[in-house]
Amino acid sequence: MKRLVAIVEDEAAIRDNYAAAFTREGYAVRSYANRAQAMSAFAARLPDLAVIDISLQDEPEGGYELCRQLRALSAELPIIFLTARDSEIDAVSGLRLGADDFLTKDLSLPHLIARVNALFRRVDALRKPAAGAGELIRRGPLTLDAERMQAQWDGQVVLLSLTEFWMVHALARHPGHVRSRQQLMDAANVVLDDNTITSHVKRIRRKFQAVDPQFDAVQTVYGMGYRWVE
Amino acid sequence: MSLRLKLLLLGLATLVLPWAGCNYAREMESALRAGEQTSLQAVSQTIAASLQGRTDLLYHEAPLAADPQADAAPPDAVAALAPAAGPYDLKPIALATAPPLDGYSEDWPRDPSAWAYFRKDAHHRFGILSGVYERMLYVLLEVHDEHPLFDAPGTNTLDPATFGDRVWIGFADPQGQEQQLFLAATGPGAVTARRIETGEYGQRTAVLEPRVHGAWQSTHDGYRIELRVPLSMLGSRFGVLVDDRDARGAVPVSYGTLRSDDLHTLGRLIVADPALGSYLTQFLQPGLKLAVSTPDGRVLARADALAQSTTLGTEAPLLARLYRRFVDRPGERQLLESDAPIYDRDHAAVIGQLEVTQTAGRWVRLRDQALTRMLNFTVSTSLVAVVVMFAFAAWLALRLERLRRASESALTRAGIETRFPETEARDELGDVARAFATLLARLNEYTGYLRTLAGKLAHEIRTPLTIVRSSLDNLDAEQVPESARAYLARARQGSERLNAILLAMGAATRVEEAIGSAERVDFDLVPVLSSALGAYRSAFPQRRFLGELPAGPVMLHGAPDLIVQMLDKLIDNAADFSPADGAITVRLLLAAQAAVIEVDNPGPPLPPQLAGRLFESLWQSRADGDSRPHFGLGLYIVRLIAEFHGGAAAAGNLADGSGVRISVRLAR
Repeated sequence: MKRLVAIVEDEAAIRDNYAAAFTREGYAVRSYANRAQAMSAFAARLPDLAVIDISLQDEPEGGYELCRQLRALSAELPIIFLTARDSEIDAVSGLRLGADDFLTKDLSLPHLIARVNALFRRVDALRKPAAGAGELIRRGPLTLDAERMQAQWDGQVVLLSLTEFWMVHALARHPGHVRSRQQLMDAANVVLDDNTITSHVKRIRRKFQAVDPQFDAVQTVYGMGYRWVE
Repeated sequence: MSLRLKLLLLGLATLVLPWAGCNYAREMESALRAGEQTSLQAVSQTIAASLQGRTDLLYHEAPLAADPQADAAPPDAVAALAPAAGPYDLKPIALATAPPLDGYSEDWPRDPSAWAYFRKDAHHRFGILSGVYERMLYVLLEVHDEHPLFDAPGTNTLDPATFGDRVWIGFADPQGQEQQLFLAATGPGAVTARRIETGEYGQRTAVLEPRVHGAWQSTHDGYRIELRVPLSMLGSRFGVLVDDRDARGAVPVSYGTLRSDDLHTLGRLIVADPALGSYLTQFLQPGLKLAVSTPDGRVLARADALAQSTTLGTEAPLLARLYRRFVDRPGERQLLESDAPIYDRDHAAVIGQLEVTQTAGRWVRLRDQALTRMLNFTVSTSLVAVVVMFAFAAWLALRLERLRRASESALTRAGIETRFPETEARDELGDVARAFATLLARLNEYTGYLRTLAGKLAHEIRTPLTIVRSSLDNLDAEQVPESARAYLARARQGSERLNAILLAMGAATRVEEAIGSAERVDFDLVPVLSSALGAYRSAFPQRRFLGELPAGPVMLHGAPDLIVQMLDKLIDNAADFSPADGAITVRLLLAAQAAVIEVDNPGPPLPPQLAGRLFESLWQSRADGDSRPHFGLGLYIVRLIAEFHGGAAAAGNLADGSGVRISVRLAR
């Protein structure tokens, strides 16, 4: 049975393009132009994954509300936020709406589909009880589960978005090596400007520091990028 | 010319008041003068009327009845007596002083017209000059004589054999009787007249007439006699006869103004009665001069009090004298004159002329008083006007200066200062200030709009671009003929470029947002810079980078990410404007309270007009043909980050002109 991807996007052309791409990729697609349509449909049947635009027709932040309602219906449902502006990522992330990823709309379709695929993989992995541990990366207190796309620090789960996880993964795989911003973007399958990457890194640090205030493993190498130090 | 000076000049225009005052004073003076002239005319006519018919006073003669000729003569003949002067008439001038009786002419006035000349022939001629001083008639006689001859000394003056040159004087006494005296001298010196008296028995004796005396002096061509005769002796007629002898006792050549046979006078003595002077004196007032003259203009008598000052002193106050200097026209006569004819008793003929002269003192004083008051008033008015205008101009200039300064400093680094002085003022200057304030407010809105335009535009374009790009992504997955792939690739290239443009356009907005959410930490600037330098060396392999960093740590409180981002922009800029393999120097200097980052790059110097605008938003001076999108935001971002760190950015040319230095001060 095909997985059902819901697209909530008020711009018809974008919506249809996304729908066509997901359909081509073998997903079933339902697309909605506003929150009311989406919610009534979700009430009947939950999708397997939702891609939600933040501004929906006459509701500039209708996406937030939709996300909250959707999360209330299902705790595991993967949700991807699409924003028009980079800076909105900060706002969305800051809201802690329980979304799994935050993306800008200029992300290319193949990248988007890669993320959707990844998120489905994670869902599958989480459903499989205690899968093979070969995919684990351990760096001191850090444990990265690439299959479930989950990070742990001192055994505590650190909730990272997909982008954040891929960045941490890229950094921690080769500790001490400097990863440039471009490398981080490639790893995360995103195209972002420097300031957005900086704020992503800041947010990663903050999330780890929430678990361990002494966390200082992500170092800035000014002018070059970042590196993981143990 | 400054506003102050202009208004000062305008204030000086009020000096037209004193000027008009001076003119008015002159007019007033003319009117006063005319009035004075009229009254003087009345005075002179009154005095002249009182002298009407007083030929006795005017011409020192007995009442007309005493003159036998006048008896018979018709009235106009009497009238002819005075004006129609005969050739033998003697007209004494009025003497200022009594000449000493010494026989010399130097003490007499030099007045050739006063001389009367009589001649018989080329060898026999004399000149006579007569004058009156007080009650004396003075006579100066210059006789041309090729053979001057004195009487033989020590002999009987009546012995004809002893006679030398002699001079006869004939006159009518106050009673009208003809009298004769003669002058004879045995040598130069004093001489006294003698009268020939016939005794009871017919014997003749020469009797001295001590009242008539003088001096006899020889001259180079004859002799000179100076003589004094009391007017009291004289009537209306007077004459002189010269007996010229070439040898003692010879028959003389007689000529002169006496008949040579009986020594009867031929001419009259036209001289005023001594009483005329005192008569005139009674009309005299200080500052007045009275003069009576014959109809042909010879002065008979005068009474002069011109020099006497009028009752109020002429010593005017200094200010008044200063004013007078402006008002008086040079050469203007300070005297008033008035003439009145003196008629004979029947008012038929003019027997004399009265001249009354008055000094200007009286009306000048009046004028000075009025003038002083008026000029004091107008000059002080002008002064006040000038001071007030100057003060007003200064105040106005001050306000304009404030406006000017405000308008010059309105465009600040931080934006446009829309507050403006003087907007509360209710006058036109206030209107200007309000208009300025409105203009600046609109300009502020406009620049604010411009500043956000890029960000807004980027946002608005992003959605259609997303449509294009996602459509292209979908098209990639479709069955597209190979021939169309090229177009697809181009479309993708174009959309990528559009995306890059959007990123560049939104850069400033993102930096502003980043600054807004930036957290300040304490960090050492030196490793940050050296680390960044290392990155630039690999990022720009065609440029050389020189770091001049201090050995010790340089602690800063700020956002190192932003500092690096700022440095990125500076290095971008330096690399863009420097030639390949140019050496870019990054220098960190420590100043008081500040750390200064300097980035030097070789390359073309900055045009001078650019210096202040380099760090403004949307300003750029890049050459065309650069494929990367630029919106003049790089150095604006530098400025934003510098200001976030409490500092400022400045650009200038290197001292040797080989390149450009951009320096950023960061507060420590």
